[in-house]
Amino acid sequence: MWEWLAKARFFFSGKRRVEVDEEIAFHLERQVEVNLAAGMSPEEARRRAAIVFGGRERAREQCREQRPSWSVELLLRDMRFAVRGLFRNPGLTTVAILTLALAIGANSTIFSLMSQALLRALPVRDPQQLVVLSYAGSHEGHTHSEGGNTPGHRHEFSYLMYRDVRDRNTVFSGLIASAQSAVGATWNNHAEAVTAEMVTGNYFSVLGVRPAVGRLFDGGDETAEGANPVVVLNFDYWKSHLAEAPVEGRTLLINGQPFTIVGVSAPGFHSVEWGRTPNVYVPITMQRVVEPEWKYLSDRNSYWINLVGRLRGGVKPEQASASLNVLFHGLREQEFTKLHDQSAKARKEYVDASHLNVEAGARGFSPLRDDVRMPLLIIMGMVVLVIAMAVVNVASLLLVRAANRVREFSVRYAMGATAPQILRQLLCEGMLLGLAGAALGIAIAPEALRLLIQWMQGSTGDPSAFTATLDWRVFAFTAVAMLAGSILFSLAPAAQFWNPRLADALKQQLSTGVGGSLRFRRTCVALQIGFSLLLMVGAGMFVRTIENLRHVNPGFATDHLLAFGLAPELAGYPGPAVVPVELRALEAIKNLPGIRGVGATNDADLTDEGREGDVYVTGFQEKPAADEFDVELPWVSNDYLQTLGVPLVAGRYFNRSDTSTSQRVAVVNESFVRHYFGSPQAALGRHTGRPDRPATDAVIVGVTADVKHTSVQDPVLPMCYTLFEQAPRPSGLTFYVRTWQKPEEATNAIRAAIANIDSKLIVSKVTTMSGEIDENLLAQRTIALLAMVFGALAALLAGIGLYGILAYSTAQRTREIGIRMALGAQRGSVVGLILRETLLLAGCAVAATVPLAILGARAVRSQLYGVSIADPMIYAAGIAGICVVAVLAGFVPARRAASVDPARALRTD
Amino acid sequence: MPTSIDLLQGTLDMLILKAIANEPQHGLAIAQRIQQVSNNVLQVGQGSLYPALHRLEYKGWIKAQWGTSENNRKARFYSLTAAGRKHLAAELDNWERLAGAVNLVLAEI
Repeated sequence: MWEWLAKARFFFSGKRRVEVDEEIAFHLERQVEVNLAAGMSPEEARRRAAIVFGGRERAREQCREQRPSWSVELLLRDMRFAVRGLFRNPGLTTVAILTLALAIGANSTIFSLMSQALLRALPVRDPQQLVVLSYAGSHEGHTHSEGGNTPGHRHEFSYLMYRDVRDRNTVFSGLIASAQSAVGATWNNHAEAVTAEMVTGNYFSVLGVRPAVGRLFDGGDETAEGANPVVVLNFDYWKSHLAEAPVEGRTLLINGQPFTIVGVSAPGFHSVEWGRTPNVYVPITMQRVVEPEWKYLSDRNSYWINLVGRLRGGVKPEQASASLNVLFHGLREQEFTKLHDQSAKARKEYVDASHLNVEAGARGFSPLRDDVRMPLLIIMGMVVLVIAMAVVNVASLLLVRAANRVREFSVRYAMGATAPQILRQLLCEGMLLGLAGAALGIAIAPEALRLLIQWMQGSTGDPSAFTATLDWRVFAFTAVAMLAGSILFSLAPAAQFWNPRLADALKQQLSTGVGGSLRFRRTCVALQIGFSLLLMVGAGMFVRTIENLRHVNPGFATDHLLAFGLAPELAGYPGPAVVPVELRALEAIKNLPGIRGVGATNDADLTDEGREGDVYVTGFQEKPAADEFDVELPWVSNDYLQTLGVPLVAGRYFNRSDTSTSQRVAVVNESFVRHYFGSPQAALGRHTGRPDRPATDAVIVGVTADVKHTSVQDPVLPMCYTLFEQAPRPSGLTFYVRTWQKPEEATNAIRAAIANIDSKLIVSKVTTMSGEIDENLLAQRTIALLAMVFGALAALLAGIGLYGILAYSTAQRTREIGIRMALGAQRGSVVGLILRETLLLAGCAVAATVPLAILGARAVRSQLYGVSIADPMIYAAGIAGICVVAVLAGFVPARRAASVDPARALRTD
Repeated sequence: MPTSIDLLQGTLDMLILKAIANEPQHGLAIAQRIQQVSNNVLQVGQGSLYPALHRLEYKGWIKAQWGTSENNRKARFYSLTAAGRKHLAAELDNWERLAGAVNLVLAEI
């Protein structure tokens, strides 16, 4: 203890060098006096004293080494030395640091996103106990899906099925259900469209989510249909939209109905489903208020909620599955007896083939995750390639540098430096490079992450499922790995000096390069060229994909088209009042100046939305064994088809004579006609509608051309348009307004026109159609952008690497080139010599990489559109790019080599 | 000059501590004292004396003060600290046990 204090004291104050000097001087003087007293001559006395004392400098040095701060001083000295060493070569140092920073920054950014999307467990209690339920088997009735289904794994259940399973199972300590929907929320007389998650009463308690304010739901909030007008706010929404106001007990209007706010959920929690970002939570029993057009709660054939269970302690998912399936089969059997179709085939599909899947749900069920997995994996692949290149680049740069320093180190050795001292210096240089790289990386990573999320979020401004927080474990791992790498490679040259042959080394510049390490560096460069070709081909494919997608003709003109959502129900309009107000809105917008046309649909175009179902067509008998043929069933306004510009093939468009009280009419597209009739003319006058719903029966009056609906890259669907005012129930609509000027300029006029009808009406999601398409192409756009950036970076890195090695090897060959030129070689032929070497190297690398690139492209086929994985144009462009980079990188050293003065080159050494 | 014995590092530390146990001394006096008392058997390499002194000082066992030497010159005088005294006692104890044990073994064999 005492010792430590003393050390600490000396650490800071230390002893001044002068004191040591004075002390030693005194010692020597006294010794001389003693010797004089013993009768020696002054000369002899001094000599003897010095001999007895020994090495004065050494003693002084040793005194200093005793200082507790010595190791730190030593480190600082080495660091200063290393900094000087690095500054002597600023270009190389900058490139190395930038490369490292890039690798660290890019890696941390992408892996932070990856871990959020693919790896991280939900922020709930014991997430590993959660399981996601899905089922196999046929279904009859309405399904509301958020996506993420695969054959045999449907994730939607009916509420009644949920209650049966919840109340009668023996394996769960809790089973929760949820669904998401858009609602209108009014706070302080300000109405806006928000996202509501309908949840069961036990939702928060089973997940173990705590309230930030007030209370969350419990069993008492899920009593009977329509009986629980309470709401819990999401923390982020409360913070950003309600300014953290005291909300407990106050009223929030949801779709015009008063709900009492009981609390705010804990910060960081969004939903049991990763990717959902609800603003408010309401009891599932309030479904009729949230989605007035549907009546789900009491209908066994409405599938609309996702189920997540928490297993009892000790119960394995397999055990749970066995026990649950007995229950599930029994319930399906009961349900089957109430169904319309009682055939043996239907029974086989509904009961016998049914199965309940119990799957690990720590990370939550997430269609969004399925969507982002492939793009993220592709981006990750690109990042890994870039990092590999960066590492190879830094390694080869450091090796080139080391080779150029053989002389320096040899001289230092000769002057008496010890091997550990040189090692320490190299270590310091490596560490400094690594640290500087990490520091720069840490500076760019959060910003890069923010930009990337913003980019992915697009223009909607919806809360993103991603949070812009860097994963520190990922960052630390990458930084440490890079640090270790740079230290390792800075130490590598030490092997050459471990057993130095000084004379050889000093004559080094005579030799034509050290064969082994030159080969290693060549391999490095070949690898870099290969990697960059891979990235450039990838970039080519993704850029072509996005180009193709951008230029896909959806069948109608997408320019000058403004889109927005209007759902009167969100403003509290009761069912019968919805259609009239929507008709008024259409009329009002149509009369605005600068508007070419306006139409509306309940099934937005090119936004990955769909409303499909099976239909009957009079005079058409489905083959008995045929698979169900689903048709897209949008409800549209009178002028919708004309406004979009969907070409008419036969019959007529909807027109003024079609009203809510006239004969129900339908317009179908060519795909529809092809399946049912063969020719457009044969379709006219037939009746079509949903099976068992007489109210949907309509007569086909027109046939239109096929246009894209779900998205530009998905195939055309068979369509059956009907009029929304003739539909069996009201619905919110997406309006499309064709303008003369830029569509954005019409926004204010439209908002004003709608507000003029009723200021409570919420105009939501205002975008342009081209913006919408971009939104829809988000994944491809992101990949294409990053692929281009990474491709350019890769080319740059390869160029630098190539330049490094060529500069080195030409410097080594100065003498050889001098001899050649002395013997009559022309400058041109010398340049050719160097460039030939470069191109040979590039050629070998390209030949080895092309098959790899084709394999890689095969792996990402699902993200490509209209591009062959062996598209010769893309490969040719990539190879041409590589050649340009190679020639550029080779030209400078080649020029330098050609300008060698033969006489001087020969006289060197 | 009589044959001298090289000193182990720990031993030198102990001798220095012992040499200044009674009164503060400067470096040369310490070296001379060790040499005299040991009848010139123990030669302190003077070059290694100062690093040792500094080491002991950094460890907090001795402290140094500027004083006036016998010839009226400014010199650094070293004296024991409380911790140094304790350390010396422990070292002596150790040494006696070691020497006793070695003697015992040598006497027996």
